Amino acid sequence: MTAAELVVDGLGMKFEGLTALAEITLRVPPGEIHGLIGPNGAGKTTLFNCLTGFYRPTSGAIYLTGQRIDGLPPHVITGLGIARTFQNIRLFANMTVLENVLVGQHQHIAVGGTDILSTRRPVYPTPVERILILRGFPRAAVNGIIEIAGAIARPPRVRTAEAAAVARARDLLAAVGLRGRENDLARNLPYGDQRRLEIARALATRPSLLLLDEPTAGMNPQEAAAMVALIRRIRDEFETTIILIEHQMRVVMGVCENITVLDYGRKIAEGPPAAIQRNPTVIEAYLGTRAIQGGGHAAP
Amino acid sequence: MPDRSAPPPPWTRTLARFRWPLFVAFTCLLPFLLTDVWVQMLVFVALFIVLGLGLNVVVGFAGLLDLGYVAFFAAGAYTMGLLTSPGSPIDAGLDFWLILPIGILIASIVGLLLGLPVLPLRGDYLAIVTLGFGEIIRLFLINRDDLTRGSQGLSAIPRPDLFGYRIDSFTEWFYFVVAAAVVVGFCTSRLRDSRIGRAWEAIREDEDVAAAMGVNTTKYKLLAFASGAAIGGLGGVIYAAFIGFISPAAFSLQVSIDVLAIVIIGGMGSTPGVILGSLILIGVPRILQFRETSDFLANLGWLRDALNGLISALDAATPGSLGRLPPAETWGAQLADDTRFIIFGALLVIIMVVRPSGLWPSSRRRLEFAHDDTPPPAPVTAP
Repeated sequence: MTAAELVVDGLGMKFEGLTALAEITLRVPPGEIHGLIGPNGAGKTTLFNCLTGFYRPTSGAIYLTGQRIDGLPPHVITGLGIARTFQNIRLFANMTVLENVLVGQHQHIAVGGTDILSTRRPVYPTPVERILILRGFPRAAVNGIIEIAGAIARPPRVRTAEAAAVARARDLLAAVGLRGRENDLARNLPYGDQRRLEIARALATRPSLLLLDEPTAGMNPQEAAAMVALIRRIRDEFETTIILIEHQMRVVMGVCENITVLDYGRKIAEGPPAAIQRNPTVIEAYLGTRAIQGGGHAAP
Repeated sequence: MPDRSAPPPPWTRTLARFRWPLFVAFTCLLPFLLTDVWVQMLVFVALFIVLGLGLNVVVGFAGLLDLGYVAFFAAGAYTMGLLTSPGSPIDAGLDFWLILPIGILIASIVGLLLGLPVLPLRGDYLAIVTLGFGEIIRLFLINRDDLTRGSQGLSAIPRPDLFGYRIDSFTEWFYFVVAAAVVVGFCTSRLRDSRIGRAWEAIREDEDVAAAMGVNTTKYKLLAFASGAAIGGLGGVIYAAFIGFISPAAFSLQVSIDVLAIVIIGGMGSTPGVILGSLILIGVPRILQFRETSDFLANLGWLRDALNGLISALDAATPGSLGRLPPAETWGAQLADDTRFIIFGALLVIIMVVRPSGLWPSSRRRLEFAHDDTPPPAPVTAP
């Protein structure tokens, strides 16, 4: 894994007349920890959803280390190196901690055959190209049969791949501090550990760009400090670029090298933390027109 | 911290390890202990175990609610019927063992045909569409009577030979269908414990997140439909060969509901659950039809007296008359005939109230590893 560069060029996202994002232009250099802040409803999570392929942006383009990725399906984007966590924790609640991480490694467990449906497709296929994609269907079917046969017969190749995946999952869990919890159900973990598990699961996809959606939400200052340390360690050990959405200003200012501020779907400021803190437009967005006064949690 | 106090005594471990071989061995003894009607009943139970295991892949593993499972059962059965029945326009007189893979293939193609249009649908919407799909197949079988002979059905479907020996008696069929169920059970449990099984489980838990983790949800949903359908097709081929006669009436919505109820009553995603569910849903109504059952009920004279007493007490307390129970000689038969569905329905209601997650819910499998025996270190927190 090498850290990726993210370039967002004039990105727009409209939902039937509601403009959620407009003309977002952004460049995150490889290995940077980049903050994304803004009042509620500013479009931060929408931007994440566009980056990960959950939404298909209505205009603009997204490039991951030079490759255009907007419009690709989520699992393909994950395969290209973007992983994410979720604002409201979304673990596979009824699966064990270990299984959660194993699902993250899905594309890295060799089972034989190539995954035709996961290979790169044209970004916005024309009808003709769509038919060409469908022509890959027989091969996909053959690969499916190979995968099923492998799962049933369990040849040495599949066993080895599984064992390697389990070993790596254990390493990842140890890295985020979840050793010894492998066989617990994900839903039985305490809140902070669930956030850590989400990060381990995201790391299991071998990301070159990691998107963290409010990683310290609901944490007390000590827990948040531990999370900040973890985020820094991930950047260094796993060589990823990290973008995080965050409301706790202490966290944002402490960990991010650069910050982008969104308001009403537009980028209103960008720069290092110190400059953002003094930026009048940002102060106005947070304090001026809306009612977060008298030291609300979003204030620095 | 998970509790890892005392390891279980060795004999329970051995028992746990050989529970399936032991269970199958016990099952193989059954024909020696039971009369023919019972063995016939058990053939149906085993057949529905096969179907239940197939639907379990779709509903239990991947969480796709499929109310049209009978379509795949019908696809398999009609493959067998059309290719072997003398009444069929395309009777090829093919051998059972050749038709088996063809039937499975056709059923899985039908599964893909159902899967493709319903890919974007979830939950209730998926259930409704699959429900319609099952009905379409049945109506197709009725209306394309130039091919399927419509409601008249296809008869005289030959029975299979195994190594030159014809599978004929109920006992032979019992062993044959149990063998099929064992093979299917082995395959589905292997699938569950593989990368595919995890992908299905992830889709069931949260489809969007599964996609974000790199799971090609389209592919795995189609694989779930196709594998479930393939098993349904296998059941259909066996059913047609066993009964020897098929008509659209045998492939009604009721079959889909029965199989789904087997999966749900047993416990979704659980293989022992499917076995228990099939015994109750397919076995119990048939047992209630047996002559032994009505004889047994007829001997319960005290129950009849008690119920009659209750009725007269109610009569005395209320205006109007409630009537009386039938005379002692016939009441057993009448109880078994008239009320068996009431008894049966009540049983299902009681099971679901007492055990909402099924009779034998799937146990969370624990991946066991060598160094689990050493006590785990305290959780490491980031510095």
